[in-house]
Amino acid sequence: MKKMLVLQISALIIVSGSLGGMLVFTDVYEKVHSGIVSVLCLSCLKLDPKTKTDFTFETADGEPHPDFVLENLTKGVVFLHYSEDACPGCDIMRPILQELFNITFGKEDTVYEIIGFEDLDIVYFYTNIDHTSEGMKKSVTIYDKDHISGLPMFAIITLGYDKGIIRPYYTTIYGTLGLDNDEDRLTFLTELMQESIDIYSQNSEGYNPS
Amino acid sequence: MKLQLKRLLSQILIFFSANLGALGFKTGFCYPFFYCNSCPAATSACPLRAIEQSVYQGSLKWRLLLFPILILGFFGVTSGRAICGWACPIGLLQRGTGKIARRLKKYPLIKKIGQHPIEHYLRYMKYFVLIGLVILSTALIGFMFTDICPVGMLTGTIPTLILYPGKFVLGPFFWIALIIFILFLVLIFTVERGWCRYFCPIGAILAPFNKISILHVARVDEETFQKECLHCNACSNVCPMGIDVPNMNRSPECILCGKCINACPKNLIKYERG
Repeated sequence: MKKMLVLQISALIIVSGSLGGMLVFTDVYEKVHSGIVSVLCLSCLKLDPKTKTDFTFETADGEPHPDFVLENLTKGVVFLHYSEDACPGCDIMRPILQELFNITFGKEDTVYEIIGFEDLDIVYFYTNIDHTSEGMKKSVTIYDKDHISGLPMFAIITLGYDKGIIRPYYTTIYGTLGLDNDEDRLTFLTELMQESIDIYSQNSEGYNPS
Repeated sequence: MKLQLKRLLSQILIFFSANLGALGFKTGFCYPFFYCNSCPAATSACPLRAIEQSVYQGSLKWRLLLFPILILGFFGVTSGRAICGWACPIGLLQRGTGKIARRLKKYPLIKKIGQHPIEHYLRYMKYFVLIGLVILSTALIGFMFTDICPVGMLTGTIPTLILYPGKFVLGPFFWIALIIFILFLVLIFTVERGWCRYFCPIGAILAPFNKISILHVARVDEETFQKECLHCNACSNVCPMGIDVPNMNRSPECILCGKCINACPKNLIKYERG
């Protein structure tokens, strides 16, 4: 009886001490909050977001476009690629984007590259949200057009004409694009990039980032 | 207030608190029971999802692995599998379906399933699901359990399809998951607490804690029990987990629902601390 009591008290001290320590001294609570609870798990859901390529001027949360996007829009179409560590969809899409832009990088890297694509520059950002800044994480919600909160997510920001002003004009696509094979995904992305470049070319001259 | 009514209230209250995400309340904790974080109203993370993420494709994130285990461990050390009986929303669902399963027991085939010698070994299946499907397959191949999880289908997929029609298309594992979900329904309607007994990986984590938990179900002192027990088997008959209650000693299957305590005509079974 006494042995059991000692065992129970020891176990309780170890478990509650470790748990309390983890909550106080580590970022595990924030990691679970931002990496699991706030991000929609498409694998758990057994669903893929419907791919809608309609462009819009309005950001998802009504916040203004981030400065890094506004500045880079002077250089070309901005492509934001969001990923995370444990994400089968991200693992499927990463090589396709690498092939599309002829670039190589690791899963946990942060990438900022200006890439020549069809006679125009594309400003490519690759971000793994498990290894990035708060500012970059915030941009996920800004461009989460369909309020999916799921990864992988791709935001393509070009320039559009809106009531006399040239403004950032973007679309966001998610997951594995609802397509079954890599070839179709690559074709789809290439066509979407061409469309974005066409829109950009028509409007870039009148763009003022301030 | 009667014990079973208290338990029902606890299950209902916890079900609502697990869904406070509908009001925008989200935490960074893991549920100490089975509930899907992809549920549109979820407040916390599924512990299995955290475990899967921690070992995904051979990566080992110790903190993310330990966090859900420690949360479950805390409840396990204090009250064993009481979480299954008093808190888990899937337990609440099975409380409802269990009544039907009990009625179906009068059919010989159903009765046979519950009494087949293999039934005892089937209970080890949940440990296989935990180690094989949740941990090893995720570490070696990639997510497997979450792709086919019937609880995810029930609490995540179906509500999402209802609440957001046209926003999603079916994923590659949808149909397999649907078949497993149908089998899950057949199981819980034919075997009382069938999911908890045989397949629940969270039950598998909590079960060993019954051996040392502070709160547990026990017989009164041995002498009184031997003298007064009528051998009516009322306790075992009401047990939703199919435990041989008079011979139970800190059974890993006990969910501390207290039905045996209520059923004993001589009050020889009780909750015990220590």
